[in-house]
Amino acid sequence: MSDADFDVQYIERDDRSARVLIRGLTPAFANGIRRAMIADVPTFSIDTVRFVENSSVMFDEMIGLRLGLVPLTTPLDEFEVGDEVTLALDVEGPATAYSGDIETSEPMVEPADDNVPIIELKEGQRIELEADAVLDTGKEHAKHQGGVSVGYRHLQHVTVDGDRGEFDEDETNVLRGVIETEDGDIVPTAAFDHDLSEKYPGKELTVEDVPGAFVFHIETDGSLSVEELLLRAIDTIEERADELHTKVSV
Amino acid sequence: MELRVIEKTEEELRLEIAGEDHTFMNVLKGALLETDDVAAATYDVNPEQSGGQTDPILTVKTESGDPLDAVGTATEAINEKTTALADAVKAA
Amino acid sequence: MMIPVRCFTCGNVIGEHWEEFKARAREGDEDPGEVLDDLGVDRHCCRRMMVSHRDLVDVVSPYQ
Repeated sequence: MSDADFDVQYIERDDRSARVLIRGLTPAFANGIRRAMIADVPTFSIDTVRFVENSSVMFDEMIGLRLGLVPLTTPLDEFEVGDEVTLALDVEGPATAYSGDIETSEPMVEPADDNVPIIELKEGQRIELEADAVLDTGKEHAKHQGGVSVGYRHLQHVTVDGDRGEFDEDETNVLRGVIETEDGDIVPTAAFDHDLSEKYPGKELTVEDVPGAFVFHIETDGSLSVEELLLRAIDTIEERADELHTKVSV
Repeated sequence: MELRVIEKTEEELRLEIAGEDHTFMNVLKGALLETDDVAAATYDVNPEQSGGQTDPILTVKTESGDPLDAVGTATEAINEKTTALADAVKAA
Repeated sequence: MMIPVRCFTCGNVIGEHWEEFKARAREGDEDPGEVLDDLGVDRHCCRRMMVSHRDLVDVVSPYQ
């Protein structure tokens, strides 16, 4: 297994979403990474809220839920699972309290988005609260999930077998994901409207999965970057392998 | 990760790995199956539908050697893979 | 009452786009589908969160 030879290639890359082609993975390993990205990479999320005043139209619990869902930036090098950071919110109506109004005691942990409305306040209404954000994993609560709609598909290889019969009907051949052409070009299916008959009109084609080549679609909620999420997921698997290794060798 | 040996003979091992789920167990099983000397490897997260038991139980059979050594070799192989993959991701 | 912070199905944060969506597609006369494309709300699970939402704070606030 030391012939582990990986090839990683970003097909699309943004701060918060990316498509990554990884070659050389086993299906078990690919799924392990996917599951780790969803459930095992910790992020900060508000977990306890102490209300000083809440005269808004929503109950404390409803506000608490909304606060919990606001993604917070998470510098994982600085914190460990279980660490807490205190945040505060104080807004008086008429105004809308936004996630950006949340003040933080730790500048590294702040709302990843500033424009999420928490609650709309009318004249005379006020919200004042103190909250503790805790670092935990998606296994514990979905609000701690760093990855959003993380998944993978096989890379698909398209071979042109020849021309279609002259009088055959041109059928649509819908395909989603990313294909590899005979020349080795990597093309997302969105480039040809997910329809192979657009790219290869009048051709007879064979489409097959490329063994060991997985195209991951990774999106984050803003608490981590895509690369960080992927690396941390790989790390959690490594940590567990090492832990088992030490325990087994004793 | 708490380990509990349920059954251990020369060539067979049944090991409970508490606190783990498919994420790691499937990777481990995959690595074990690619390890030399391993005749069979599997895991079960709900053995015999036993009410309440949800910690996975790993079963390993070897051709001749100690199954614990096989687990050790497999974890080393996983480590090698993750290190190589992390490097490849950083380089991309 | 208020726009949910995240999409119920996939967990993507959609709350931040609501006010712009409301201004352009509800109060303005732009096509809701095009506004959502523009905002980057791509999946239909997230899109339905916006399309099917109604603000109710004004309705309930007199009864506090």
